[in-house]
Amino acid sequence: MAGLAELTFDGQLYGAEAIQKAAYRAMHAFTLDLKVDGDNILCTLVGNITTEQEAFERAVEEFRKDVLDYQLRAQLQAETAPIRNLIIGLAFSNARLNQSE
Amino acid sequence: MSKFQALDAYTRSAKYELLPFKFDRLEGDNYVITNMTGEYLEVAKPELHVLLAKDLATEHPLFASLRAKHFIRYADEQAPLDLLALKLRTRLSRLTGFTSLHIFVVTLRCDHSCPYCQVSRQMDDETSFDMTPDMAEKALDFVFRSPNPAIKIEFQGGEPLLNFEMVRYVVEAAKRRNLEEKRDLEFVIATTLSLLTDDVLAFCHEHDIILSTSLDGPTDLHNANRPRVGRDSFERFEAGLAKARNVLGVDRVSALMTTTDKSLPRVREIIDEYVRLGFNGIFLRALSPYGFAIKTRKFMTYDTERWLEFYKEGLAYILELNKAGIPFVEHYASLILKKMLTSNDPGYVDLMNPAGAGIAAIVFNYDGSVYASDESRMLAEMGDQTFRLGNILTDSYEDIILSDVLLDALEQSFTLSAPMCSDCAFEPYCGAEPVFHHAIFKDVLGRKAESSFCKRNMSIFKHLIGLMNSDASTRRLFMQWANAC
Repeated sequence: MAGLAELTFDGQLYGAEAIQKAAYRAMHAFTLDLKVDGDNILCTLVGNITTEQEAFERAVEEFRKDVLDYQLRAQLQAETAPIRNLIIGLAFSNARLNQSE
Repeated sequence: MSKFQALDAYTRSAKYELLPFKFDRLEGDNYVITNMTGEYLEVAKPELHVLLAKDLATEHPLFASLRAKHFIRYADEQAPLDLLALKLRTRLSRLTGFTSLHIFVVTLRCDHSCPYCQVSRQMDDETSFDMTPDMAEKALDFVFRSPNPAIKIEFQGGEPLLNFEMVRYVVEAAKRRNLEEKRDLEFVIATTLSLLTDDVLAFCHEHDIILSTSLDGPTDLHNANRPRVGRDSFERFEAGLAKARNVLGVDRVSALMTTTDKSLPRVREIIDEYVRLGFNGIFLRALSPYGFAIKTRKFMTYDTERWLEFYKEGLAYILELNKAGIPFVEHYASLILKKMLTSNDPGYVDLMNPAGAGIAAIVFNYDGSVYASDESRMLAEMGDQTFRLGNILTDSYEDIILSDVLLDALEQSFTLSAPMCSDCAFEPYCGAEPVFHHAIFKDVLGRKAESSFCKRNMSIFKHLIGLMNSDASTRRLFMQWANAC
């Protein structure tokens, strides 16, 4: 029988996108049903038919870590996006891409 | 009064700013962080959280490294931005050169019948599978449309020596054209060496042609992997190697190996054979999911986990040899280490983003078809024409290079906008590989969470970083590998 797990994340602390990205990374082991209930994000994780129970439990543990990681990545990306764009601008501002040699 | 200000004058009271970087978990609670140009540091989980909260103390051992590698800066500092921009520009500079490698499939005929061969070979007397002079001329028109100052023409097959007249024709025609073009022109013949003659070698010597050959390991393994009439593939290889080195020089002959299920328990023996024969490195390659490898189900005979065990055992053995004073490298690791430890990109097609298909390498098939990569024509030989960009006899350079097939594949597989890849700390080291993912998923992007390409490479990236961080002498050796290729 496929593994089943239910998790709840606080919507004030975690974005749905972070949860979705973590689930995408775990699709080799399980699929995710996502539901927003007030301030909570409810996750139902359903193991793939080919995923053994032990592997499913390991994947759920990894998923919980990944959700936190993706949330932090989102914050880091939002904070550094202007600098990132500035660096790309600096890198290519003299590329003369629109001029013939 | 002192000529110098007190130390306090150099101490910053302002908080640092974060520069763009990505992070991923390694083993245990450790993380790797990489910046836009692939520089990396390993940090413990608590340190990562403190770093992100901008609470890392200036006296923390990590602080200076974070500044030196442009993970953080003070708000008034411009230099980190300029340096990151310069390094980014250097890494991507290969894109302005455009296509360098041009593969001419001069024949599909072959004297071997390898079960894992990625090309559907033809009998060695079947000349309808040969490239014609008309096609070769059109292909050369195409080659010299590339703006790249360095042009490499590689002859593949089948066995290209079975149509050596066409090799000769292309080399001489290209060199005539190059009198005006003045490109840095290089020729390579991919051959088993089984049909090498003195005439062929004399021609290679005259035109400074490199030979790229195949060696799968000791005699019994090589002959089992590479059957031919007479069961003497290895003997012919060894004799051809000695003759070729004698005429062309030791460094003008390289070898590639293919890993089959028979190779998996024998990585040390395979490496020993390369050392015995005087090669300075080995490329431990996994079997690709193309052509005959799929038709004969050879691709399915071992999984990624088993191949990774084979790879890691081989890498450990090579490091043992290095530490015993034998200079020898694993070429795939060298390519990755160059990305990790330098600002240069080695230009390896499988690890490029945007993908190297078409824009770093392109293939002219014996029948005039043009493919985005060697793997693309292998797929085509199995009936999947997805990456056929056109025909050299009927389509223009613009038709082919600007074809939707090519542009869509490059755009849709671009890792900086791909799910999972765009957040991955290892993205600066990795590649898009649209052809591989199409072969597996029928989708150029593929689902990376289920991709053996992703699993294999992530595991190797983590392994290399782990090895460097656990042993200073290995790190020094890897620095040499990174700067050798």
